[in-house]
Amino acid sequence: MSTAHTASTVKERADLALNDEFLRKAVKFTTERLRNGKKQASEEHGNWDDWRERGRQIRLHTIAHLDYYLNLFANNARANGVHVHFAETSAEAVKLSLEIAQRKQAKSVVKSKSMVTEELHLNHELESIGVEAIETDLGEYIIQLAGETPSHIIIPAIHKNRYQVADLLSKEAGETLAPDTSILAGFVRKKLREKFLEADIGMTGCNFAIAETGSMVLFENEGNARMVTTVPKTQITLMGMERIIPSWADLEVMATLLPRSATGQKLTVYMSGITGPRRQADADGPDEMHIIIVDNGRSLQLGDPEFQELLNCIRCGACLNACPVYRHIGGHAYGGTYSGPIGAVLTPALQKNVAEWDDIANASSLCGACYEACPVKIPLHEMLIYLRRRKLEQGHGNAAESIGMKGFAAVMGNAKRYAGIVKLGKLGQKLVVRDGGIRLKLGPLKGWNTYRVTPSLPKKSFRDQWGTLEQELRHGLQELDPNVRSRMESIMRERDNKGGNGHG
Amino acid sequence: MKVSLFITCLSDTIYPRVGEAMVRLLAKYGIQLHFPSVQTCCGQPAFNSGYWKEARESAKTILDAFEDSDFVISPSGSCTGMIHHYPKLYETDSVMRERAIKLQRKSYEFTQFLVQVLGVKDIGAVFPHKVTYHPSCHGSRLLGIKEEPMELMRHVKGLELVPLPFAEDCCGFGGTFAVKMADISGAMVTEKVDHVLETEAEVLVGLDLACLMNIAGNLHYRNQPVKVMHLAELLYEGVKQA
Amino acid sequence: MAKQVDSHEEWLKQLAEESRRKQETFMNGIAEKLRRPRITSAPEHPFRGAPDFWKAFEWPLEERIDRFEANFKAAGGHVERLADMEAAKRFIADKAEALSAKYVIRQNQPELNELGLEGALEPLGAAVRVWNNDPEENWRARAAESDFGVVIADYAAAYTGSVTVLSSKDKGRSVSLLPTVLFVLIPLERLKTRLGEILPDFDAAGREALPAGIHFISGPSRSADIENDLTIGVHGPGVVYALMIG
Repeated sequence: MSTAHTASTVKERADLALNDEFLRKAVKFTTERLRNGKKQASEEHGNWDDWRERGRQIRLHTIAHLDYYLNLFANNARANGVHVHFAETSAEAVKLSLEIAQRKQAKSVVKSKSMVTEELHLNHELESIGVEAIETDLGEYIIQLAGETPSHIIIPAIHKNRYQVADLLSKEAGETLAPDTSILAGFVRKKLREKFLEADIGMTGCNFAIAETGSMVLFENEGNARMVTTVPKTQITLMGMERIIPSWADLEVMATLLPRSATGQKLTVYMSGITGPRRQADADGPDEMHIIIVDNGRSLQLGDPEFQELLNCIRCGACLNACPVYRHIGGHAYGGTYSGPIGAVLTPALQKNVAEWDDIANASSLCGACYEACPVKIPLHEMLIYLRRRKLEQGHGNAAESIGMKGFAAVMGNAKRYAGIVKLGKLGQKLVVRDGGIRLKLGPLKGWNTYRVTPSLPKKSFRDQWGTLEQELRHGLQELDPNVRSRMESIMRERDNKGGNGHG
Repeated sequence: MKVSLFITCLSDTIYPRVGEAMVRLLAKYGIQLHFPSVQTCCGQPAFNSGYWKEARESAKTILDAFEDSDFVISPSGSCTGMIHHYPKLYETDSVMRERAIKLQRKSYEFTQFLVQVLGVKDIGAVFPHKVTYHPSCHGSRLLGIKEEPMELMRHVKGLELVPLPFAEDCCGFGGTFAVKMADISGAMVTEKVDHVLETEAEVLVGLDLACLMNIAGNLHYRNQPVKVMHLAELLYEGVKQA
Repeated sequence: MAKQVDSHEEWLKQLAEESRRKQETFMNGIAEKLRRPRITSAPEHPFRGAPDFWKAFEWPLEERIDRFEANFKAAGGHVERLADMEAAKRFIADKAEALSAKYVIRQNQPELNELGLEGALEPLGAAVRVWNNDPEENWRARAAESDFGVVIADYAAAYTGSVTVLSSKDKGRSVSLLPTVLFVLIPLERLKTRLGEILPDFDAAGREALPAGIHFISGPSRSADIENDLTIGVHGPGVVYALMIG
């Protein structure tokens, strides 16, 4: 919802989303479909954890040697005839893109899906110099007409229904189009076909860049990325500096993980490897090809042991589909280019200013569904905790909360004090307990008790009862089965010998 | 051999009957549990909120309590999971880190210990009720506890296990999350309870008291009579009935 | 940019110089952040490609055919198993007649030159164009107005239900993309089990031998962007026939 952008905190934006019945239903329906698809596809493929581990190892290896592989990619792409550029900041990347557009005297740019260009707000920048930028992915086209940003990495218009889409496209068509998916898509096909054929520049993102041959790889289902890289005379590709994989052999692993994780497909309808502009004798493909390699905060993660793995992300969206928070609030509530668990970590990580984005890290119950879904095993649930800790270390804590936590430490640091507080609690609760529960909606209990009844403390805590219980059981205790005893002893020996983390 | 009970603060203060059930069930197999009373809380609320210094204060009581134990058993996948975070919590203190790693290796959630270590499958319980199971996130995802509770429940006579739709979805507890993002958390627990009600089960069972308190709180709020039990309670109840 | 340059070539040259300078800064910056010296020779890559257990996996031909068919159909494509090229020609001609195709475009490949599509289609009123046989022609436009595109697959993979087409002077990328209906002829000896039997060929070929476009196609163009409702033929061909020959 466009109004979501005017609310300033995640909490406020989430409230808007929680009150939007259609949004919640649509997001639930779509994420369920996608995650079931993923589950089915990964089970059918089999050995999924081995593949995840392989994907993770390839990404870890590449990022650990990124200077070598990125350099190799740049040299090879250049040898293929590509004009390679480097942009440290989003401003540099925008400047380069606009300059190319101006040099080519471009009137229009057709774009296929690219999250990097979303980071740069490139459409807006192109419009500002009078160049029409047209999103050609069906979902992206719809939200562009609505003047919004994507709310899901894979399904950008997840929050729009067919009636809203029909209204938007009818305006564009100058006639009323029925809210029928095939009619709407048919209109877009016809309309964008013209745009492809007259566009001066095709602009793309990049799923993977193959270092050893200087090739760039795109995954898509509609064919618009193929159009963008086949029809216009000039191609500009914007890629994050971490998109690299060493070889085509490694692409097999990514091609196994990405489509299955994103949509449950065995492969997207199109997977295209583009190696340079058209060869001289070719009759299609771009005459001129530019690749802009963008940093924009990515390199801040390098050498940071807690966040370097963030660069392993292959942008599949599986963590969004698995996330119970995303499912309830949708993408716009996150307030950045990237949403869901990956957005909650990536958005602050790409900005140096952690404090500004801090509340995003709080929008998670740390359930770990994102980690379980991640095809390259990024521990997002742990990174969220690191973000919360760093925010405090940088002095951006919440005063009331830090007083509370100091109290927590004082009580929990000492068992006697802890037992004393529990006693006090039992006395204090007498004022508020009704029918075995607490319904008071005041102070810290307000939010909790809006949805729940809080249980009261029983007369005796476990430690109060322990003495009696222990005495009772000491008599009549069974003999430990000798087989079990020997198993326990062998477990103890094994864990002493082993360097690992033991069980679990 | 010393087997110790890591009671966890929730079981200690609000649900002592769960601790009691565990102690009595393990006694059946000749396990005499020790209860070191210096233990308090695992420190997870502070750790997850980023207050690591404060978390260490609390974690230290756990490290002290179980220094000389051979096995440490808790009624919570989440609190045992927190022990798995201790090496990270003490990353810069090599002495404490070493102690943390030792503790991590000997810590078990209740059903893990019962099935993996004692080799129990059939605890000899009878529980003729319709039951549904919520697999808590930390236990199932971080500790990989998936089969153990199923194995135990399959052998309970009369127990009819109804699958919970979207069982693996978080109940919305998330510690301070439930307070800071109360409405999102509320939407999550409401949906979880909707799914529980769909099963028409008489009992919801789980392995983590925080999640169970959250779900029970919403059931209570909505005046729904579904009974919420920790699996240790259910098994103990069933053994008494057998 | 430092000074104003006039010709486009000069400007590109200036950008290239700047890019080389920037490249050094970039790579040095990465090495510095990783707290180690720059790596300038190929590191050992022990995890290259698919896991070992996967590399030996192969189906016998009949199963490859069945699996390809099942996967391609599941993605919304059509599959026909035909005895020979003659049968393929008849199949395309029948479709041209049934759909009243006016324009057909095909790749300029020896197998297709021998096929004699022209002779079979022209009496039915369909003009057959041969990709890039006249350098003056606007071939993108010719492909865009075509009802049918006819190509031969360079590879196919049964496990994912994919065909692979490589571009060249005689093999336009547009031919498999812009027409409404696509026919892909698959000689059975090119049908592999896994992507992993195809992709390493591109490593082996090396940069200089690669074509500009390598395209894996696994069915008709599709989208589920409007209310999850599957739409076929959004930008690429909405109807795709995989014709398995042999």
